Amino acid sequence: MASIHLQNIEKKYGAFVGVQNMSLEIADEEFLVLLGPSGCGKTTTMRMIAGLELPTGGKIVIGGEEMTEIDARDRDVAMVFQGYALYPNMSIYENIRFPLRMRGIPKAEHDARIRQAADMVELGSFLDRKPGALSGGQRQRAALARAVVRQPQVFLMDEPLSNLDAKLRQSMRVQIKHMQRQLKVTTVYVTHDQIEAMTLADRIVIMNKGAIQQVGTPDQIYSDPANTFVAGFIGSPPMNLIEGVAQNGRFVAPGVTAACPGYVQGRVTLGVRPEDCHVGGDNVQGMVYGVEPTGDTTYLTVLAGTKKIEVKAAREYRSDIDVPISITFDPAHLYFFGEDGQRIRGAA
Amino acid sequence: MRTDAPSVPAKGVAQAIPKPAPRRRSPALRRAFPYILLAPALAYLLVITLYPGLFAIYQSLFVVKFLTWEWTGFGNYSAILQDREFWAALGNTALIGAISLTLQTVIALAIAYFAYRDPFIRGWRIVYLMPMLFMPSAVAFIWKLAFNDGRVISDLLGRLGLIEGNIDWLGSIPLARLTLIVADVWQWTPFLFIIFVAALQGQDQEIEEAARLDGASWPSIFWNISLPMMRPVIVVAITLRGIDITTMFTNVFVMTQGTPGGATETMSYFIYRQGFRMFNFGYASAASVLMLILTVIIAQTVVKRAFHSGKK
Repeated sequence: MASIHLQNIEKKYGAFVGVQNMSLEIADEEFLVLLGPSGCGKTTTMRMIAGLELPTGGKIVIGGEEMTEIDARDRDVAMVFQGYALYPNMSIYENIRFPLRMRGIPKAEHDARIRQAADMVELGSFLDRKPGALSGGQRQRAALARAVVRQPQVFLMDEPLSNLDAKLRQSMRVQIKHMQRQLKVTTVYVTHDQIEAMTLADRIVIMNKGAIQQVGTPDQIYSDPANTFVAGFIGSPPMNLIEGVAQNGRFVAPGVTAACPGYVQGRVTLGVRPEDCHVGGDNVQGMVYGVEPTGDTTYLTVLAGTKKIEVKAAREYRSDIDVPISITFDPAHLYFFGEDGQRIRGAA
Repeated sequence: MRTDAPSVPAKGVAQAIPKPAPRRRSPALRRAFPYILLAPALAYLLVITLYPGLFAIYQSLFVVKFLTWEWTGFGNYSAILQDREFWAALGNTALIGAISLTLQTVIALAIAYFAYRDPFIRGWRIVYLMPMLFMPSAVAFIWKLAFNDGRVISDLLGRLGLIEGNIDWLGSIPLARLTLIVADVWQWTPFLFIIFVAALQGQDQEIEEAARLDGASWPSIFWNISLPMMRPVIVVAITLRGIDITTMFTNVFVMTQGTPGGATETMSYFIYRQGFRMFNFGYASAASVLMLILTVIIAQTVVKRAFHSGKK
C-alpha cells in the first residue's frame, strides 16, 4: 500500500530516448494503466519503477521513500510478466512459495498464505503441477498468485493478458480488477490494448514516443481527448480525423462541411467519433465504400473525397457499395485540433 | 463487367504456356531413394566403426599370437576378470576420471556464473577456448615438461615459498595422478564452460527478473533456478566429457606411462599395453569390448535418469 511519485524521470539508450522527462503521481490503492503503441516507453517506465532498469535522470519515490537507486529485490514490488516467468523446475506450490522463502517469511505461515493466494485465483487444485502442465490462463493465474502471496506495496503488470485468447482475456480482466479492489494494492498496468485500459483503469496514462500524451479517467480520455494522437488511439473504430479549413464558423473539407465555433480558424483537423455520425443529413456527401455488419451493430465506411469516414450505423443498416450517401454529425460531439495536433479549446 | 473481366486473360495465359506432363519417379527409385541418401554415411560408419568393432568382438574370442588364432571362447574374458591389473586400471580410471570431471564441472560452472552476464564475453570466449584448440599430444608434452622434465611447476612453487627443492611428481601415487588431473582439467574445462554459458544465456531473462523481484539474490537465483533449468545440458555435457575421460590415453602415454607401479594406468593404457606391448591382441580386444559395454551402460543410465526425473 503505497503511492508512487515519478519526478522528471528519463531513460536514454545512447542517443535514443526511451522515456523523456516524465512526471507522474500515482495515488495509494490506485489502478493506473500505461497505454500506448509498442515502443512508446510504457514498459520501460514500469521497469524503472520495478528497479529492473535504472533511470538516466529523475527520481522515483515509492511509499514516501526514494527508490531511484535501490535494487529491485529491496523495493517490495511484485511484477507479473507477459511471458508469465514461472520457474519451470518448480511446482506451482513452490513457485508461489518462492518469494516467501526469499524474503525470509516464517515457514509456519507459508502453507496458509500459499493456499489463500491460490484460492484467490482459483488454482487450488493445481498446486502440485509443474508450469509446463498448465494452460496459458492457468499459468497466468499462477503468476498472479505468486505476485499476491507476499502482499507487496505495489503490483506491476506488464501486458499480462496479451498471450491469452480473447475469451480468457475478458474473464481474467474481471478477475484482476476484482483482486485489485479486494487487496487495495497500488497497481501499475501496462498494455497496448485500449479495451483493457478502459475497463481496468482508475486513470489512464497515454504515452507516445517516450512522453505522456494525456492523463485522465477513462471517461475523460474518451470524451475529452487532448490531441489527435489520443483521439486516434482510443475508440474502436477510432475517431475520424478529417483535415480541412475553418473560416467564419464553417469547417470545409472535400465532401465535408460542418459548423464550428468562431475561434476555430485556419487549417484544422475535425474529429468525430463513429457513433456520433448518423446516416442522412448534410455534413458529408460521399459514396458507400463498405458495410460491415458485426451482429450487434453495423460499421459503415463512407468515402468523402479521398477520406474514408467510419460510421457506426443502425444494426439493420445495409447498402450496396458505390451508392451516394449523406451523413450528419452530432454537433455536440465535434472536436477541433490545430495544426500541431493539440485540441483547440475556446476561452473558458 | 466485373465477373467476366478476369476470365479472359486467364484463358489466354492458360493457352500461352503449355502444361508440362507431370513428372513421375519410378516406384523402385522412390523406394530406394532414402537408402541412396544414407549410403555414403553408412559406408563411412561401416568402414570406420562397425567393421573394427565387430572384428574386435570376433578377435576377443581367440588367443591371438600374430598369425596364429586359437579359439578360446570366453577364455579371455574370464582371464581378464581375474586380472588384478585390469581391476587396478578400472579403479584408476574411475578415480582420476571422477576427480577430474568434478573439478572441471565445478570450475566451468563457476566461471560461467560469473561470466555470462558480461556483454564482452563474446569477444573473450576465444581466450577461454584456447586450451581446447591445442593438439592433445602437444598439451601432454607441455605438461610433461612443466611437471617432470622441465620442473617448471616445482620451480614456481619454490619461488612462492611453498616448497623447498624439487618435487618428484612421478615418485608418489597421489602426485602422479594429480598431474594427469591437472592436465585434463586445464584442457577440457573450457569445453564445459562454453556449453554452460550457452545454456545460461539461452534461459528466459524474464524468469531471472521475476526471481529478482521476488527477493532472490544472484547466488540464490543461480542455485534455485538457473542451475535446475540447466540440468539436462549439464548431464549431456558431463556424459560426453565422461566418455572422453574414460578413454583417457594421450596424457598417460606421454606423461606417466602408467607409473608409479601402475597407479596411473587407465583402461585405455591397459588395453594399449596388452595389445601393442605384449601383443595379446585377443586379450586386448576382450578388454575393449568390456569397456565399451561398461561405458554404454553407465552413459545410458545417467542420461536416462537425468531426463526422466527432469520431466516429472
